[in-house]
Amino acid sequence: MIKSLPTVVATLLAHYRRHPGQLAMLLLGLWVASALWSGIQAINATARDSYARADAMFDTQLDQLERRDGAPITRAEYHALRQAGLPVSPMLEGEIVTQDGTRLTLIGIDPLTLANDNPLAQADTSRSLTDFLTPPWQTRAAPDVLTTTTTLANGKSLPPLALAPALPPDTLVMDIAAAAQLLESGEEITRLVAARGTLNEAPTGLTLTRATRIATPGQLTESFHLNLTALGLLAWVVGLFIVQAALGLALEQRLGMLRTLRVLGVSGRSLVLALSLELLLLGLIGAAAGIASGVWLARLLLPDVAATLGSLYDAGVGRELNLPWHYWVGGLAVSLGGLLLAGGGVLWRAARLNMLELGQMQAWRSGYRRQLMLMSTGGALAVGVAVALYVWLRFQPPGDGLVAGFALVAALLLASALWLPPLLALALKVLTHLARRRPLVHWALADMQLQLPKISLAMMALLIALATNLGVGSMVGGFRLTFLEWLDQRLVAPLYLNAPAEQYADIDAWLADRPDVSERLLTRRSEALLESIITPDVSRALGTPIELYGITPGESLIPHWPLLANQQDREAAWAAFDHGAAFVNEQLATAENLSPGDQLNLRAPGVYETLTIAATYPDYGNPSGQILMASPQLAARFDAPPSSMGVVLHPNADVDALREALNERFGLGSDALSDQREIKRVATDIFERTFTITRALNVLTLVVAALALLASLLAQARSRRQQLAPLWAIGVPRAQLAQLSLVQLGGAALVTGLLALPLGIAITWGLVAIINVAAFGWRLPLYLFPWEMAVTLATAIAVALLSAALPALRFWRASPRTLLAEEANQ
Amino acid sequence: MLELHQVHKTYTTPQGALKVLDDVSLRLAPGQSLALMGESGSGKSTLLHLAAGLDLPDQGSINLSGQNVATLAEPARAKLRREQLGLVFQQFHLVPSLRVIDNLRLQARLASRDDTEWTAYLIARLGLEGLEKRYPEQLSGGQQQRLAIGRALAPRPSLLLADEPTGNLDETTAGEVLELLLSLVHETQCALLVVTHSPKVAAPLDRCLRLRHGKLINTAI
Repeated sequence: MIKSLPTVVATLLAHYRRHPGQLAMLLLGLWVASALWSGIQAINATARDSYARADAMFDTQLDQLERRDGAPITRAEYHALRQAGLPVSPMLEGEIVTQDGTRLTLIGIDPLTLANDNPLAQADTSRSLTDFLTPPWQTRAAPDVLTTTTTLANGKSLPPLALAPALPPDTLVMDIAAAAQLLESGEEITRLVAARGTLNEAPTGLTLTRATRIATPGQLTESFHLNLTALGLLAWVVGLFIVQAALGLALEQRLGMLRTLRVLGVSGRSLVLALSLELLLLGLIGAAAGIASGVWLARLLLPDVAATLGSLYDAGVGRELNLPWHYWVGGLAVSLGGLLLAGGGVLWRAARLNMLELGQMQAWRSGYRRQLMLMSTGGALAVGVAVALYVWLRFQPPGDGLVAGFALVAALLLASALWLPPLLALALKVLTHLARRRPLVHWALADMQLQLPKISLAMMALLIALATNLGVGSMVGGFRLTFLEWLDQRLVAPLYLNAPAEQYADIDAWLADRPDVSERLLTRRSEALLESIITPDVSRALGTPIELYGITPGESLIPHWPLLANQQDREAAWAAFDHGAAFVNEQLATAENLSPGDQLNLRAPGVYETLTIAATYPDYGNPSGQILMASPQLAARFDAPPSSMGVVLHPNADVDALREALNERFGLGSDALSDQREIKRVATDIFERTFTITRALNVLTLVVAALALLASLLAQARSRRQQLAPLWAIGVPRAQLAQLSLVQLGGAALVTGLLALPLGIAITWGLVAIINVAAFGWRLPLYLFPWEMAVTLATAIAVALLSAALPALRFWRASPRTLLAEEANQ
Repeated sequence: MLELHQVHKTYTTPQGALKVLDDVSLRLAPGQSLALMGESGSGKSTLLHLAAGLDLPDQGSINLSGQNVATLAEPARAKLRREQLGLVFQQFHLVPSLRVIDNLRLQARLASRDDTEWTAYLIARLGLEGLEKRYPEQLSGGQQQRLAIGRALAPRPSLLLADEPTGNLDETTAGEVLELLLSLVHETQCALLVVTHSPKVAAPLDRCLRLRHGKLINTAI
């Protein structure tokens, strides 16, 4: 039979020569499924490569020493420490801008005092250490930086470049002397590093951060990439719906051909083999086109993703795609695997094809009834899984269950999609019965029942896309509202000041004498080790480094600062705060299951303090836990230096005049003073950019679903005309039949859209109440947007009407001769 | 060539068991032609399907070119059909996506017996010259049935099975198609079993059998 296989495959493929629309629909499905999936995987692969390189840098096994007041360490201090026998090595870090505007991180090291096994000291280059240490020195850089010009914006030149593939993107490493020249840092050193564990404690005035406590970008960004993968998976599934619809239609239209081939002596096994080969061929074409488009899409989206990751997690991602070999193989495997999933049913039906039955409408109907039963059962099973996951999640500690959260949302989507066709079938059956006295309506409803098997997959895809669109849109909209409100609450002062730590005392005294200033909101920052927590039930040892943040709880701040939970009431919580109690952010409260009333034991160099939690507060966008204290308390108990100051003015006071006066009096640089509006604008910009890719994928998924519906309707347009021709022949005007087609599909889309509303709300809930908490540690309020819902409904109907318009127009414009011929053919 | 021995076939329907063939036996020698007549539902088409290996009997044997079709596995039955049988149906069952010439050569290609000269001869004999590039739907009913006959004869089968081959044609066209069918069968020396309602179709054949309620009731010509 192998000899005749090419004939069978050619015969099968000949179908698409007569029905190019179906081929286009099939390839379109494969293409979009594969393109969106592989595009996202390309972004993930590139980002992970960048993290791997950055991780290698972070995982330098170096403990770090920095000044407690945030000021740079001097060479003199370094020499003093060395003379005291401490095994420290200097490190200089700064930003340089090349002539083409590229911003790069420059790290200066001393390879002689740095531990020999350190990745920075061992950068993969064949040049000798002498080249690195002596003029004209050497710049070690990753391949994606080598293309950058070596001339800087200030006219200086980089030392000659040497390849160091292990370095992260946008990072240059050179001898500390060369770096100091380029950064014009003079006597200053950013930090001192030491081999892990060689320092017992931080010298006076310095803070020690252990190597194991430095979070790596890979850990921080995992949830972001899981989000992206979930969206990619969704687009892949929607694309496969198109493939499934196209294959089902092609099979239905080729049932006669398949039967004829069997009768002419092609065995069932050979037929399945030939169909598999056909699938493989189409799959390879679709996957190749998809992967190529995916890479293009990734290139397009990568800058936004890199900006998002940079602003959210401070994680550097390369600007060039860097795709490993397994990306290409994986992309092909996922595309072909999806095709096998979508085409499995077709192969199964072809294998069981009864040669003595033609593909009769009645047989198809009874087969579809069985499918509806299976769909109902499958939907019920998916609901069961969703309920089980929900119950399981309720017993998990808050913040756990990210994957289970996604699985819960997926189960809800699947259940609704599977229940849609049975629901539509039931509604049509009831309506057909009710409309039995109105012949044309009765026919239209009965006809819709006949169409349902062919469009149900496209409707399921539309439901999933609409619900996801609404769900994600509401989540982002809610997040936006919450974020802006939170910014307003946090940024109560019109002017913010960032000055060297030692200047704050003078500035504060100067501002206190000014009549236009009503309040000075000094903030402080420090770090400590959260050694243990004590709750009413249990005492737990932790040993986690934690950020301490001090605020001035004045009249301007207290009324606006939001609290999520407190022991008695807001006033009592703020009173306790003023007297030394702490607030913890939601992230920390969620991660460690903390409540107001619990106690925290904190250790810092020479300090051991126990704080009582008075309240928890929202801290959106912060990936880490944080403890909030009153600024004077933080200064007194942890010797925390000032980090910024908000200046609140009396009404009608002149902000610009104050800004000028401050600059004049203290010689502050242009970056030291920030306008509240400017800070809000930058924060909002970062927020908008964060969701650029989410929005783009969301819209693409909806476009794919719309294409699925359009392709389904176009593919069956001819057989539809054959069904409409007899009605036209007995006197129903073509225009009326065309309108009926629109009403039929518009009605089905309305039901789909209505079902998408509660499903979309459920998805929003899953995102804000489970996935966000697990991924970021904070929970958003659930906002519903009636306007978004109306848009969802309108989109459903518009998509359906647009899809139905072209076939209806073709029918309306068909010549009577064509319709007569089609009726005769029928 | 073809021998059915005590063949039984029953279908299960919602109304109960339906005996379609009841102890049917017949023989057809190489080169011989046989008409099988009977009312609708008498079992004619079922007998033809069993003879083609499209379906299996409940009891009895069906020998075709020395092989018992009833005991062959599905791939072997498919091979037998491909290489030994030609099938012609009332509804033509041409492949709509293939052009006339490709439809004609389809079974011959499947059986690896494609013969350009023989194909050209068949095209000429079937009166399909100049129509090779057309699709089946662009042909008249008579032309479509002639094409179906050509497709069945292209691999030079030893037995041609025809199910109401003129049932879909007008009287004049039916006469022309039948004449062509018999002429080509005579030329190729293959055996012919025709299932038909029509005495006019049965008349020119060597023998005629009649089925009633699943039983062969006479063997008169």
